Amino acid sequence: MEEDEFFGEKTFQHDCAEFIKHSQQIGDGWEWRTSKDSSDGYMCKTHLQIKSGTTVSHLGTSALVQTCLPMEEALEPPLDDFELTETATATEVIKYEYHVLYSCSYQVPVLYFRASFLDGRPLTLKDIWEGVHECYRMRLLQGPWDTITQQEHPILGQPFFVLHPCKTNEFMTPVVKNSRKINRNVNYITSWLSIVGPAVGLNVPLSYAGAASQDE
Amino acid sequence: MHYPIGLLFDLLASSSALPWNITVHFKSFPEKDLLHCPSKDVIEAHFMSCVKEADALKHKSQVINEMQKKDHKQLWMGLQNDRFDQFWAINRKLMEYPAEENGFRYIPFRIYQTTTERPFIQKLFRPVAPDGQLHTLGDLLKEVCPSAVAPEDGEKKNQVMIHGIEPMLETPLQWLSEHLSYPDNFLHISIIPQPTD
Repeated sequence: MEEDEFFGEKTFQHDCAEFIKHSQQIGDGWEWRTSKDSSDGYMCKTHLQIKSGTTVSHLGTSALVQTCLPMEEALEPPLDDFELTETATATEVIKYEYHVLYSCSYQVPVLYFRASFLDGRPLTLKDIWEGVHECYRMRLLQGPWDTITQQEHPILGQPFFVLHPCKTNEFMTPVVKNSRKINRNVNYITSWLSIVGPAVGLNVPLSYAGAASQDE
Repeated sequence: MHYPIGLLFDLLASSSALPWNITVHFKSFPEKDLLHCPSKDVIEAHFMSCVKEADALKHKSQVINEMQKKDHKQLWMGLQNDRFDQFWAINRKLMEYPAEENGFRYIPFRIYQTTTERPFIQKLFRPVAPDGQLHTLGDLLKEVCPSAVAPEDGEKKNQVMIHGIEPMLETPLQWLSEHLSYPDNFLHISIIPQPTD
């Protein structure tokens, strides 16, 4: 039994479960997957994106999320769900997958992600970054995390891009310490994902914050 | 994947006669299965990433973080240029532990089997039991991969291989970690079916 765990695997699974509960309420598409041969698992989400930059959530809800668009594109009228399916063609739709796993080595969550066209052709890291707004790209380059590298998914065994976890503890410790100081419960996964997600094109709606502080 | 060549041999071809004949492909890169390797820098980054992870387990990253960039570089260059002394000048620090402990905090290991979907098993495992006894290779397998170990009276179904040899299951894990780790500081353990000859 671990007494000195800052963020143990049980807490990880608990916080993910809470996160997914809220995701289900707002149709944000996150789900939990367990590996066939053991008790551990991970959280994952798939979303489709048209190359122009407008995102439709996988479950096709009415919550249409706009990613930051460069000025010229922002002048185009926003498309609603119905228009989107008519104008999308196979080569322009990109499938993004985000997986949140627990690293027992660093005792923190780790974000794995990959993107491909619908015909299976993978996107390179450069392609993925082209879909990320400038402001987040700068943060990624200056942020207190090492790098994004391609690594083997520990459960699926396939290549994914990974945000290296060795600095996660560094930027999460003040968040957790502060929440304890003001006696307010924080969902580690919510806080962490809202920090690292946008840098790789993953949006975390604000309503998660409200849900997190209502726990207990 | 970016696996050490010795591990690949143990896992996939240990019954083959040397030299190991392999087929090199130049077309149809399997994007969904393999990591790209565009340059030597990528290999260095991957190697250092493994070394860092191993130290996170052994020393909560204290030893690797105390080192300077030039030490990290020396570790990599020593490996790349096959300079044993240059490599070990740095690596020996990664093999030390506080006098009051009997070993590392956790042992960096990965267990590979071709029969499972999961690429490898990696879990937290202490080298020393609460009563001070050193855990053995057998203890590790019983805990994280029980199917690999034959029952007391049963027939031996598998070989447990590291660097092409089968260490005795009674070997202390701490010792194996210090002496039989790969350059990335991990114990890469293959579980392969017992040859039938």
